[in-house]
Amino acid sequence: MLAAYLQYWKINLLTMAEYRADFFMWLGFTIVYHGTALAALAVTMMRFPSMNGWSLREMFFLYALWMAAHELHNALFYNVMYVPEYIREGRFDRFFVRPFDTLFQVLTVPSRTFPDGFILGVVTLAIATGVAHVHLSLQTVLVIAAVVCGGAGIDLGISLFVASLSFWTIRVDTLRWAVMSLEQDFTRYPISIYTRAVRVVLAYILPFAFMNYFPASYLLGKHDAAFGLSPQVGLLTPLIGLLWSGCSYLFWRIGINRYQGTGS
Amino acid sequence: MTALAPYIEYARKAFAREATYRIELLAEIGSLALRVYLLRALWTALYTHNIAPMGLPLHSMITYATVAMLMSLVLEVDGTRVIREKLREGGIAVDLMKPIVVPFAYFSDGVGQTLVHALAILPSLLISLMLVHIDVPSAATLVVFFFSFALGYGVNFFVNFLLNGVAFWTLETFGLQLIVRWISDLLSGQILPLAFFPGWFGRAVFALPFAAIYSTPLLVFIGIIPPRQWVTALAVQAAWLVVTAAASYLLWRAAARRVVVQGG
Repeated sequence: MLAAYLQYWKINLLTMAEYRADFFMWLGFTIVYHGTALAALAVTMMRFPSMNGWSLREMFFLYALWMAAHELHNALFYNVMYVPEYIREGRFDRFFVRPFDTLFQVLTVPSRTFPDGFILGVVTLAIATGVAHVHLSLQTVLVIAAVVCGGAGIDLGISLFVASLSFWTIRVDTLRWAVMSLEQDFTRYPISIYTRAVRVVLAYILPFAFMNYFPASYLLGKHDAAFGLSPQVGLLTPLIGLLWSGCSYLFWRIGINRYQGTGS
Repeated sequence: MTALAPYIEYARKAFAREATYRIELLAEIGSLALRVYLLRALWTALYTHNIAPMGLPLHSMITYATVAMLMSLVLEVDGTRVIREKLREGGIAVDLMKPIVVPFAYFSDGVGQTLVHALAILPSLLISLMLVHIDVPSAATLVVFFFSFALGYGVNFFVNFLLNGVAFWTLETFGLQLIVRWISDLLSGQILPLAFFPGWFGRAVFALPFAAIYSTPLLVFIGIIPPRQWVTALAVQAAWLVVTAAASYLLWRAAARRVVVQGG
């Protein structure tokens, strides 16, 4: 399976080398997309220097942490988004006749998903880490790497959960879109600015706060004003990522069994 | 009136087509409610910890952001997307043979689509009013606001028209369009008041056509543009409308000739 996966990335990178113009076009998009978001943030924070005790530099780090995790998810797991489409168009069934795990096959459908966003995310995160004066040591670098991987796991867990729902109902596009925009809009700010119910959703139900808010609080040595939790909870991100993607995978398996059941 | 009949029919068809996507419309309203909640949380937090900039009090800021959100329901409909689709599928050749002014037919199509989304404004407004308090200006101000909004709608239509018109030369315009959309969201005053931009840039953004789309109507609404400046403000918008319309006309003439040449 590992050999097949490496082969997939080899093809992917070769495609990237072939369609170089495409690659740079997508890179351009990603730059403008995150650039405008960050510019809006910077302009706002020039007028309002503090957001619930967070400065612009710290907000930049908060954003970069989410961005790197989210872009890692996009680079590795973006195909999960296409599952509802595969099912609707009947293209999903071919995955059953091949010897690999269905999810593995979904992830390795060639679709020209370039890792441009992730590269940009890592660069942005490196800059933000310097700008926000995160104390640099081998330990913090390892923590940041683990948090980014865990954050991608949280992202995968949630998108896989939504995709699995399409084994039961065809119309998940709207839900997926709602969850995605919830993630993009609500992870931009420290969750302490929201009312309690929303904080609870972001911390415990759809744990986007573990992608950036909690780990950033830990790394920047900030007091958590949302729940008054110990800063160490920020270290739980990898665990939560594993838990969420693991549970979603089980849910996916249940969905697969059901889907096969109705087919026969 | 008979001369207008086909265009009214175009608008009606577009309305009926767009109105079939009911779930999407509901999702749009739901997502708007979330974003109104978000803007309240965001600006409230910013105003609690900082001094109000430029004498713009919190209630004006929330009114500005909420009305911008409601306007976006209508302004984010790209009525001219049809050009790109027709070019890709070849339908444009048939349209050019019909006894109609094609750009005007597309405009009618866009108006039809827009009206469906305009219907969503009322429920969205009611939901927003449950979440935030909006300042209601005087009747005269409201009239001028709607007039200014209409001019902004026109400018927005032609900017989209120009962007989609590029498809006559290169079919890959979607990316370009996304980039311009993100930049114009920022520079039109939809996300934050243009006066927040620092220094010379803050003055320059007012001189771009994007400011005519969101910023002018919104500043009229919250009273930053006082009655004695109404005429000037609307005149600038009207000027942009004329410029973008003229550019669209020229682009269309060159493009229509190109289609004929390619087809011959």
